[in-house]
Amino acid sequence: MAEVKPDEISAILRKQLSGFENEVDIYDVGTVLQVGDGIARVYGLSKVMASELVEFPNDVFGMVLNLDEDSVGCVLFGESTLVKEGDTVKRTKRVASMPVGEEMLGRVITPLGIPVDGKGAINTSKYSPIERKALGVIQRQPVKEPLQTGITAIDAMIPIGRGQRELIIGDRQTGKTAVAVDTIINQKYTHTEEAKKLGINPVYCIYVAVGQKSSTIAQVVSKLQEHGAMDYTAVINASASEPAPLQFIAPYSGATLGEFFRDNGKHALVIYDDLSKQAAAYRELSLLLRRPPGREAYPGDVFYLHSRLLERASKLSDELGGGSLTALPIIETQQGDVSAYIPTNVISITDGQIYLETNLFNAGVRPAINVGISVSRVGGNAQIKAMKKVAGSLKLDLAQYRELEAFAKFGSDLDKATQRTLSKGARLVELLKQGQYTPLPVEKQVVSIYIGTSGILDDIPVSEVKRFEKEIHEYIEVNYNNIYEFIRKEKQLNDEIINNINKAAKEMLNVFKSHA
Amino acid sequence: MGTYKVSYRYASSLLNTAFGKNVLDDVSKDIELISSTLEKNNQLILALSNPIIKPNIKLTILEAIFKSRINPETMNFLNFLIEKKRENLLGDIVKIFLVLRDEKLGFVNVNVKTVMDFTNEQVNQFKNNLEKLLQKKVRLRFKVDQNVIGGFIAQVGDTVYDASLKHQLELLKKQFLLGSPTLN
Repeated sequence: MAEVKPDEISAILRKQLSGFENEVDIYDVGTVLQVGDGIARVYGLSKVMASELVEFPNDVFGMVLNLDEDSVGCVLFGESTLVKEGDTVKRTKRVASMPVGEEMLGRVITPLGIPVDGKGAINTSKYSPIERKALGVIQRQPVKEPLQTGITAIDAMIPIGRGQRELIIGDRQTGKTAVAVDTIINQKYTHTEEAKKLGINPVYCIYVAVGQKSSTIAQVVSKLQEHGAMDYTAVINASASEPAPLQFIAPYSGATLGEFFRDNGKHALVIYDDLSKQAAAYRELSLLLRRPPGREAYPGDVFYLHSRLLERASKLSDELGGGSLTALPIIETQQGDVSAYIPTNVISITDGQIYLETNLFNAGVRPAINVGISVSRVGGNAQIKAMKKVAGSLKLDLAQYRELEAFAKFGSDLDKATQRTLSKGARLVELLKQGQYTPLPVEKQVVSIYIGTSGILDDIPVSEVKRFEKEIHEYIEVNYNNIYEFIRKEKQLNDEIINNINKAAKEMLNVFKSHA
Repeated sequence: MGTYKVSYRYASSLLNTAFGKNVLDDVSKDIELISSTLEKNNQLILALSNPIIKPNIKLTILEAIFKSRINPETMNFLNFLIEKKRENLLGDIVKIFLVLRDEKLGFVNVNVKTVMDFTNEQVNQFKNNLEKLLQKKVRLRFKVDQNVIGGFIAQVGDTVYDASLKHQLELLKKQFLLGSPTLN
């Protein structure tokens, strides 16, 4: 058996004890009057601040939410069974805050910044309050850089800019989390040397899991690890088994961590998965605190709950470093009902929404985005010129297709023009299908959409569209690599490049047909 | 709790009247007497808060107990309380009055926990130091508690001045655990 030398122990002891003060410690206390359901009423704590962290016995922390005349209402971040009536409560004299820093990347933490991935302590030097006021008008500027999701349908028609808030909304099992995870994975490119040369700044990602199954979170984390995305991602975990107060503050923690990157001139992406569960957690603790219930039993300030969170997403002005915080909140609807309380609230707060639909998902259109009702109100300014050019006709073609879709079953009875519109639309829909975890870089998206809208695909059967797309990407990469390079560098299309794409497509078409 | 506001109002008006008429010392002695009487006699509290008992009987009871022992000023106040049907709040009013009086006169109550009793010299020294620190007159209440292990714990209102060995050991434990994987 290995032995520990006595002088080694004394050295450690001396080191640990050197900073130890033995003066009178002064702190403020209160007494627990009543405890239960994750709520404690405390007598005393006379100088306590709203949303201050307080310490209960057994390392249970709480946050002050109600300041009444003769008592203080606290929510507990731990087991309420560990707190008894008559226990002493200590003030910590800091409002609920969390450690922030680059050290958080690659880690899974609780909303209070405590690691839960078993990789040891996180040594950060900076603390930031969880609730912060959003920036004003002067500090901001319009969204101008694209945040590529790697999903063709989104990047082409519902573009997201850095600093935007884009809602992902849909029923359960429609691939909401998949869109978010793909977006995180696609940010890997921004961390490469190549992106740096092209002037693309890295995007740091924060995935906030609220009220989800722990198994789902573990799955997401392992997928991110598998694709090398954990290096620039932090996961904030408030699973369904955590007390409601932790689920309530988790999105704010995510925003705080994102703001750290933003305020240092960097770019961050925060995904709130999902805010309907957070609203439910907030409803729970509001009702326990005896605040009056309103519509759907949510408290009166549930709009403010989400608006103050999403207002923190921003693109900073150049004087402040030009950092950005993009927010992708997720809302789960029940049976496609977007007119429920929480969905309407969040829709009205965000800069656009991506609708995911069950019937599209079941019809094999994945990602199941309904492009007809999905919008991005500000992202268009952030799109690169090349994409803007090709996406315009894509939107038009798809809109015409949707209008005529009902007639599709009449088949050959239709006139030539209608048939052409229908067959083109079907091919475009096929083209926009995309597997999970396979984000496409923007230059390939541009080429894909170009071959779809220019009619090159019209001679290919719908079932072969995806294969043709894949092969033409490979063909261009080998024989016409300057196309990709040009789009990447110049971010636009010119006649020469379009001619080259046409030429490559024609050659590819010949090869493809001769093998078919 | 709505009754707090009412009790506070009665207590502060009693205090201000007594202060205005320069009988604060007498009145506060009376209130202390009432407070200790109420503390020891639960039946009296029950009787006062019982709505079935008629006000004039309640007044007779209070007069029989207190009239010979307290000032007319205080007796008037009790009379007034019964007239306004607030006699059930007497206990609360008395408590709040004592707190408000201490605040006004610059007194603070300090609860001190130690392992063993202080000697008189220690008590004086302690009191002087505390008065210097708090800039207020200090009323000490001592309690012996073996859990303190060593040193003392003094509580002034909601603020604790903790110089106990127990607290220091707790801090030490926390410091040792800091950064260890067991905490995570």
